[in-house]
Amino acid sequence: MVEALLLLGFLALIASTLWWPRPFVRLMSALLLGGIVLMFVLPGRGLVSGLLASVPVALVAWFLLPPRVHRRVCFMVLTLGLLVYVTTLLMFLAPGNPFRQEKQANEQVEAALREKYGVPPNATAFFGIYMQKLLTEGSLGPSIKNQGRTVAELILPAFPVSLALGMTALVIAAALGLFLGVRAGLKPNSLSDQGSMALAMVGISLPNFVIGALFVSVFALQLGWLPVAGWGGYRHLLLPALTLALPYAAYIARLARGGTIEVMQQDFIRTARSKGLSERAVVLKHALKGAILPVVSFLGPAAAGIFTGSFVVENLFGIPGMGQWFVKSAINRDYSVVLGAALIYCSILTVFNLLVDMAYAWLDPRIREEA
Amino acid sequence: MYRTLLGILAAFACALLVVGLTFSAASEEAADYTFINGTEPKSLDPALITGQPEGRLADALFEGLTRRNTASLKPEPGVASAWSLSEDKRTWTFTLRPEARWSDGRPVTAHDFVWSWKRMLEPALGSEYAYLLHVIRGAEAYNLYAANATCILGPREGGEPIRQGVERLLREHPDGLPAATWEAFLSTTKAQEHLKGCPDPDVLTALSQVTGTLPSAMLRGLIGALTREGERRLSLHAEALERFGVDLGVYAQGDHTLIVELGAPTPYFLEITCFYPLYPVPRWLVRPRSSGNVIKDEDQDWFLPGTLVGNGPFRLGYWRVNGKMRLSKSPSYWNHERVRTKHVDVYPVDNVTTALNLYLTGEADWLPGYYPLELSKDLKLRPDYYAHAGLSTYFYRFNCAKKPFDDARVRQAICLALDRQEIVEHITQRGEIPATRMVPPGLAGYDSPESAIAHDPAKAKKLLAEAGYPDGRGFPEVSILHNTHDGHKKVAEYVADVLKRTLNIPIKAHNQEWQAYQDNMRLLKYDIARAGWIADYPDPNTFLDMWVTNGGNNQTGWSNALYDRIIAVCADVESFVRAGPEDTLARLKEPAKARALAAAVAAAPDAASRAEAGARLRAHLFREAEALLFQDGFPVMPLYYYVNTGLVRPWVKEFYKELVLPDGTKAQNLQDLHPFHDVWIDPEIKARERVR
Amino acid sequence: MSSTPSPVTLSGPTPDADVGTSLAADAWRRLKRNRLAVVGLVLILLITLACFLLPVILDLDPATTEAKLGATSSSAEHLMGTDTLGRDYLARVLVGGQTSLLVGLIATLVCVIIGTLYGATAGYYGGRIDELLMRFVDFLYGIPYMFLVVLIMLMFDDAQRGNPLPVFMALGAVQWLSMARIVRGQVLALRDQEFVLAARLTGASDARIILRHILPNVLGIVIIYATLTVPAVIILESFLSFLGLGVDLSWGRLVAEAVGVINPIRSYGWLLFWPSLFLAATLFSLNFLGDGLRDAFDPKSRR
Repeated sequence: MVEALLLLGFLALIASTLWWPRPFVRLMSALLLGGIVLMFVLPGRGLVSGLLASVPVALVAWFLLPPRVHRRVCFMVLTLGLLVYVTTLLMFLAPGNPFRQEKQANEQVEAALREKYGVPPNATAFFGIYMQKLLTEGSLGPSIKNQGRTVAELILPAFPVSLALGMTALVIAAALGLFLGVRAGLKPNSLSDQGSMALAMVGISLPNFVIGALFVSVFALQLGWLPVAGWGGYRHLLLPALTLALPYAAYIARLARGGTIEVMQQDFIRTARSKGLSERAVVLKHALKGAILPVVSFLGPAAAGIFTGSFVVENLFGIPGMGQWFVKSAINRDYSVVLGAALIYCSILTVFNLLVDMAYAWLDPRIREEA
Repeated sequence: MYRTLLGILAAFACALLVVGLTFSAASEEAADYTFINGTEPKSLDPALITGQPEGRLADALFEGLTRRNTASLKPEPGVASAWSLSEDKRTWTFTLRPEARWSDGRPVTAHDFVWSWKRMLEPALGSEYAYLLHVIRGAEAYNLYAANATCILGPREGGEPIRQGVERLLREHPDGLPAATWEAFLSTTKAQEHLKGCPDPDVLTALSQVTGTLPSAMLRGLIGALTREGERRLSLHAEALERFGVDLGVYAQGDHTLIVELGAPTPYFLEITCFYPLYPVPRWLVRPRSSGNVIKDEDQDWFLPGTLVGNGPFRLGYWRVNGKMRLSKSPSYWNHERVRTKHVDVYPVDNVTTALNLYLTGEADWLPGYYPLELSKDLKLRPDYYAHAGLSTYFYRFNCAKKPFDDARVRQAICLALDRQEIVEHITQRGEIPATRMVPPGLAGYDSPESAIAHDPAKAKKLLAEAGYPDGRGFPEVSILHNTHDGHKKVAEYVADVLKRTLNIPIKAHNQEWQAYQDNMRLLKYDIARAGWIADYPDPNTFLDMWVTNGGNNQTGWSNALYDRIIAVCADVESFVRAGPEDTLARLKEPAKARALAAAVAAAPDAASRAEAGARLRAHLFREAEALLFQDGFPVMPLYYYVNTGLVRPWVKEFYKELVLPDGTKAQNLQDLHPFHDVWIDPEIKARERVR
Repeated sequence: MSSTPSPVTLSGPTPDADVGTSLAADAWRRLKRNRLAVVGLVLILLITLACFLLPVILDLDPATTEAKLGATSSSAEHLMGTDTLGRDYLARVLVGGQTSLLVGLIATLVCVIIGTLYGATAGYYGGRIDELLMRFVDFLYGIPYMFLVVLIMLMFDDAQRGNPLPVFMALGAVQWLSMARIVRGQVLALRDQEFVLAARLTGASDARIILRHILPNVLGIVIIYATLTVPAVIILESFLSFLGLGVDLSWGRLVAEAVGVINPIRSYGWLLFWPSLFLAATLFSLNFLGDGLRDAFDPKSRR
């Protein structure tokens, strides 16, 4: 009951952001950004350095950020809070108790463990303790399954690994997709078009672990060119990134194709051609631009998909990335790790989406101008 | 446009370079020995770990009083250079060697052992292996009696104290308490658990009353007995608090002598001194926990890289969670000259296909059995394959508290309907041995009883009909629960299919992930559940004491008072013989033999021969207990005894796929332990052999 | 993937009025000309028929084990061979297909119903309500879907033993977001059209307008994206199977199990080949069909 009320309250608060007047939004966003910086610096360095760091950040935010970003910030911070709560509820609803041990069931021990890890049996109580730890100490809590380690200690080293893998996959997907898509779009409905599209489709016709396993079988086991699994060099990056990239390459190819076709039908293309520009220049300058626009808007969800779909790939290739933390910790009922992973992930995704939004806005008027 | 693209590409190249920084220093030395460990270890605290993967690491980083001889796995001098056992086989004296050191230079003393074992017995620590130490005098009192006393006398959080409950039952049933209510009461209050080992005859009789009604006189007597027992436990606990570690149980005489007083002669005690729960921990790093339920142990990260201090042959180099762990030879180890590997790398890979691939491509030297089941037949043909029988049993639990498996006939019918030979031959294919009992073969001195389990579908159908389900009619829908694992799934699906075809009952397999599966087993929310048990030490007790009423590892709801009695008695046969064993012996299946053995104990001239005779009586009593399980009760259905298999490269020396005993004979490596403190890599063989 | 490519704006009822046909018939004509889409349609129909009818006709049994037989490749008796427990693989692939297709269909249905209603409401009312509803969608978009699905699956696992229902719900619950966004975009465009104004003038209630006037025009795009959601759902289910959380028997499960036996020692190649073939064929067809539908409904993409 309490939970339902809290949920509704949260949702109402988030909904209310729509009605906040502009200057208030600006103020709140600056305060929140400053607060976040303070939260990170305070536990380590003390109040003075905390203020020294957070006040300039708040001021910069106040003056430089456009209003839409302000709204986004307010929204994001509130929804992250809601996210933590909802995730907590879901986890506590699932059966399973990480404090029960296999060999002996001892209520005294369980109570002691719960006290130590700050995980009472009630979801809302846990939420309270968790938020308090987060806001006052900037700590994401301890891990239950990996004793002695904090969530930050576990997830932060995994983050650059996933980032590397994800980025590489994204670039491969974009490059491959654009190449196939533009090629197809320049000669629509020809054999080359259908061939390229069919090739791209392979990526979305099989789950990525099948493709990955086949890659491993051919390149690593039979040919021995690349390592089977692990992480520790650029060689370890190639196969997993390729496996992750293929489905997205397929989608991007389709988008690029569609965008290219649309652009090539425009009048200004005919104008450019009649002006005597070489076919090549026409293609490179205009078709690419047309193709890129829809691709850019897809990058947001693509990045999201890559980061999460990476769990399967990371499992297959034994890569110590963030994807593993989500599912493993959910299965192990390692509450703080689950929440920490969710928080970090969502923050990154929101920031990324924001950047993509801004990139889109920047690209769009330029194109219109030139035409 | 070009410039933008170039800019983006340049940014990406820079980012990739930065990414390169996440790659560990490429200039580190390669490890001499690498192996796959199966799962990411939860912890490295010897008192808190339970799995075999963690055990391998603990064996490398710490050392106990004794350590395992790599060739024979028998205990040989470790921290203790010598030891002796008293005449009555109850007191061990260990002499510690002065050159034993921790990796930070401090000497290892007897006080370290006393402190570590005492810590393990602290109730608030929640050590799962604390029960191993209960063989020490006063240990059980220290560990459990406070909680027991509170549960008997109160005040009790979240439940009714037992004595108060009996008083209430007496008030509510002045004419006699029906056995069913009594049983339910015992179950909710976990009375059997808290009154385990109580010598009072009133308590014993009441606890074993399962039919009829309990007269009020008995209940009144019981209240008095409970008070006495509660107070007895309280005082024993107080005594243990004061004296355990000082002059009771285990204590130090100076820095280098450790005295261990056992409650009764325990043949396997020396074996557990080389088992990781009994390893010492650096107490100056592990802060003592405050008494009571609040743990103020901020330093629960003492075993992390950078701070871990151990006294074993290796030190912790680095530990990348889900990545790799490196162990390096410890120069402070007293026997460091014999350690011939400089670096050992451990991979915590849990995907079996990836694990196998890592081995096949030469990145790992040892793969302890983590490979897909389907490949067993082919891997068996390789020269680097090994297999040895294991002291572990794969079995299915029945939920004896719920229909239809609350009827022993139904349980037996299920057991008879299955052909275990088919399973091991065609599904698991690792050469396992079909099992009709819990205790695997190979334990010295133990004579397994006859089992009523065999492959007999006709009899199974008859039993099922007798139980009220002729030809499976009316049989409720049941499922076989197992945790998410390909091998378990295959076996479960096969078993379900066979049972369905043979007995015509609606049954199927159902998988759940580990946490939910554990929970459901414990809460008895299943019909049939898959389980496995690995021996903690080579003695039948580890397989049989699980099945006592409400035992923590029982998880079937099966209860048999005689069985409980036998197991309790086996903890101290000599006292049992002295106290007058007749009424128990009379209820056995082979009373004459038991009486003769008991007489031998009573008539023994000295402590040594008495202990020996006691061991024989104990073995016979275990046989009786197991007979109860597999001739009458059938709380579980054993399927097979594990075979421990693996792949190891020929250049790994002193690995011992097969054990070599001190007298030169070969033996099976039943416990599947391959400590690597003596392992060395032969460079010639490595250069010669191609990786495949 | 929970996303589908960028929304396409339909321009509403086409001015092709001279032929005297409806939008649907128009689209159908164009679709027929797209070879790949037709192949896709035919293929998916064939596969569906095979999976649902053949097991009945041929009396196939996917569950009977024959341990002695073990895994064998194609033979006269077992056209696709047997798996490691000796079960007929043809039966398993076809019956597994039933589950996979059903999962795809039902999850997509859930997604369509929720997404369409939600998006239509947001698009129709516009303004603050729209922003509010879309903000909620943005929030949900930010949650790693795999994570949500796993959490939901873990929650259900106890109550429903092996039942695919929670899988349907979990997957559908995650996919409706894109559908909602797309429908909203469409409805926003349609809202200002004359026929809507007319309906409002005659006093029709909002619900009636949404249901009777707007939704039918949105149907086209919904069908397109539904066709593209089904493959996404089927693949998501296979991820769940890889993690051990999926349904007992489906293409995804068969493929996940078979992947474990890709190795240089002995490959049970057919264990991977057959379900992958069916899976790939189904997904290929659905994707091409979806693409074809989109081209067919969108006059701008004419050659």
